[in-house]
Amino acid sequence: MIAASRSNAPSSFEEEALPHLEAVYRFALRLSGTPDQAEDLVQDTFLRAYRSWGQYTPGTRAKSWLFTICRNVFLRQRERGRRHDEIVQRHAAARGGVVDLVNPLWRSLDGVDPEGAFFRSILDDEVLRAIDRLPEDYRTAVVLSDVEGLTYIEIAEMTGVPVGTVKSRLFRGRRQLQRVLYDYAVEAGVLPVASGTRDEEGHVAP
Amino acid sequence: MSLLERLKRLLGRVRRWKEAGGGSEMISCEQALSAVYEYLDGELEAGPREQVKAHFDVCARCYPHLRLEESFRTALRGASGSVQSPPGLRERVMDLIARSEDG
Repeated sequence: MIAASRSNAPSSFEEEALPHLEAVYRFALRLSGTPDQAEDLVQDTFLRAYRSWGQYTPGTRAKSWLFTICRNVFLRQRERGRRHDEIVQRHAAARGGVVDLVNPLWRSLDGVDPEGAFFRSILDDEVLRAIDRLPEDYRTAVVLSDVEGLTYIEIAEMTGVPVGTVKSRLFRGRRQLQRVLYDYAVEAGVLPVASGTRDEEGHVAP
Repeated sequence: MSLLERLKRLLGRVRRWKEAGGGSEMISCEQALSAVYEYLDGELEAGPREQVKAHFDVCARCYPHLRLEESFRTALRGASGSVQSPPGLRERVMDLIARSEDG
């Protein structure tokens, strides 16, 4: 049991922080990529959270506070072994230029699968692998919004960027991910090969 | 023209404008599509949310776009929901915290 030496902190920590263990693990796994690293990340996160529990404002969302710590720990660790491919990928994505209001995927799906039913036929592991291929800032935004249901403001506060940046990361991250899943479905023979040309981001050239 | 006649003509114009959908605030396809993520993410205020919903409800061209995004999100949630933490993680975390207290 946790010692009760820090006034009321331990009991409220157990009640408010520990119930989010599964969510923090899910997030840690998407950030780090392997179960071993995710477990280390979770342990580190909860230990740090416990030590700084005094800074947590009761009544605010403990979940997004824990996510913030988790991401900070992850980013600090990554500083040492920075992944070059992510950076390159992000810059390539940022040059995407004009983006279409109409989802470019829809042109390929029109008349075939306009409502995107194919998304649900893709194996869970393939979906997760596709998420892991996104640049970290897009991945964080997509996971926190689509999976964990955080608001734009919560994500903005967590990641230290304006709400507008969160929106654009979500937009680009989702479109990239959709494109990867679409290509997977075509390769798997779930969808027919589409005619027409498009750049690798799936955007219409400016 | 008498005042009464003028008034009648004015009322007729108002009626025809209303019949043509004026004032019902139907937003354009462009507006609806540009708000699709904010709509799905629950980021719109009640007024705009209703307008976007009203558009998707009646627009055969835009509706599949909404469904596409929903299918996508369902897939992400489903895949992530299949993830479970390793057995005993909670105990190991508790233990780590307890040991940090002792040390």
